[in-house]
Amino acid sequence: MNTIMEIQNISKQYRDKKIIENATFSICANQIIALVGKNGSGKSTLLKIIVELVDADSGSIVKHRQSLKIGYVPEVTPSHILFTPEEYLYHMGSIRGMAKKQLQQKINNLLELFHLEEARNIQIVNFSKGMKQKVMIMQAMLEDTDLLILDEPLSGLDPKAQRDLEETLSVLKDKGLSIVLTCHETKLLQHLVDTVLVIHNNKILQANSLNNNDLPKNKLMFEISSMKLLDNLLPLLEIQQQSLLNNGCHKVIAVIKTEDTDQVLLDLLQKKSSIKQLSPINQKEEQFYTHF
Amino acid sequence: MTSLLRYQFINYLRTYKYVPPFSIFVLCLVVNYTFIPNPILDSYSFTAIILFFLMGWFTVTLFHAEDEGQKVITTLHAKSRTQYNLGIFMICVLIGLFLSCISVIYPTLIGAFGEKPRFIHQLLGFLSHFSLSVLAIALSAIFTRELVKNKQNTWWGILGILIVSVVIATLKETILQIKGLIWLLPPVRLSLEMMGSEDSIATIPNIFYWRFVWIFVYSSLVVLLFFLLSNRKRR
Repeated sequence: MNTIMEIQNISKQYRDKKIIENATFSICANQIIALVGKNGSGKSTLLKIIVELVDADSGSIVKHRQSLKIGYVPEVTPSHILFTPEEYLYHMGSIRGMAKKQLQQKINNLLELFHLEEARNIQIVNFSKGMKQKVMIMQAMLEDTDLLILDEPLSGLDPKAQRDLEETLSVLKDKGLSIVLTCHETKLLQHLVDTVLVIHNNKILQANSLNNNDLPKNKLMFEISSMKLLDNLLPLLEIQQQSLLNNGCHKVIAVIKTEDTDQVLLDLLQKKSSIKQLSPINQKEEQFYTHF
Repeated sequence: MTSLLRYQFINYLRTYKYVPPFSIFVLCLVVNYTFIPNPILDSYSFTAIILFFLMGWFTVTLFHAEDEGQKVITTLHAKSRTQYNLGIFMICVLIGLFLSCISVIYPTLIGAFGEKPRFIHQLLGFLSHFSLSVLAIALSAIFTRELVKNKQNTWWGILGILIVSVVIATLKETILQIKGLIWLLPPVRLSLEMMGSEDSIATIPNIFYWRFVWIFVYSSLVVLLFFLLSNRKRR
């Protein structure tokens, strides 16, 4: 993959408290990276270091393109923007030093891309949070942005707005943008993100991919009259939980390999067991969510 | 820089946060010159002190005109925190300049003085208003959110420093006993001393110009301190 930026051994501390320690990773073109970790783990600080809002104590950021354009959307969406989207984007673009004609063209394109043409003359202060978030992403894309940095982009949005924004991010990815974001929204991580970087104890611990949804195992919930009936299945079952029900049956939750599932189900049904639930599980995913 | 200034100014106008200090300024000006005739330099001195306090108000509301998040975005587009803050300082100074001119011209136009003010009266009047405005901007900026986290500390800090600056002007003799301290304290007293001159003053003594220069130099040093602390905070 074509690397556009490398973060090398970045460390940061505030008043003797370590925030980030030797963070190292690469950002490739057309890649979406999610930085995850508990509150206060240093995700936002790392993003601010990438956009040069905060200086790192040590380490370096290497840009592999001469004029790599980075757009940034902060965690807190401004609630009192006293301009219409058109005025606001025009001001932001002018402050960047963009030429009037080019800027106007870009604003029109962005309003179309984000489906906000009809709201172009409405004050942003009257927008929903989802629409405000879109305007925030638009301002970050005024110039032909290569890398978009989003701090908690879905935070506080209702499910519809989240879906909407997820679609928008997907379109941006298709347009060739690289995106680094922090988030807690599991849905976004599952459907959109290519690489997940987990920050734990100030360090970037692992880089997992969630997109290759390999499903090695299934979770099975069933009821059976006697646990003894399971004796022949025990080598195939990884029993996680069992309890005695009022009707004298046993409720069992177990994990089974995908390849053994048909055989186990057939055997259980023959033993008059009642299957309550069967669902695929992604161990990587489960392991990953323990970091939130 | 022009685009940044235009944006910051329009944004400030749309917040309407300037309405209270501007209304008080107009009210003070009108009330002060309700009865005529008035002494020239004394009246100018009074309105200069009023403007000194009101410029603190203008400065805070200008620095806090944007949302915290929007401030980060605008700073990124401006490509420098110094540039962003410089823009706000420039608007503050322009407001100070505008109100200083109004303070000098308004009473002259309505004939509020016992005698027609001469050029030196107006020059002294303008310099006292403008120098104290700039001083108030510099002192107030130190307590804005750029350097102070807590909003309450901002207002108490600004009110405190502005009041102390005026109070120490009356404690000059006591303060002079501590060598060097007089140079550290905000030089509001210099303006008050100069404006305490008689209206019959024929020429402006050279020392007066140097005193105004010191007020501007002192303000510039405080602004420099603001930028140093602001850039240090980033680290």
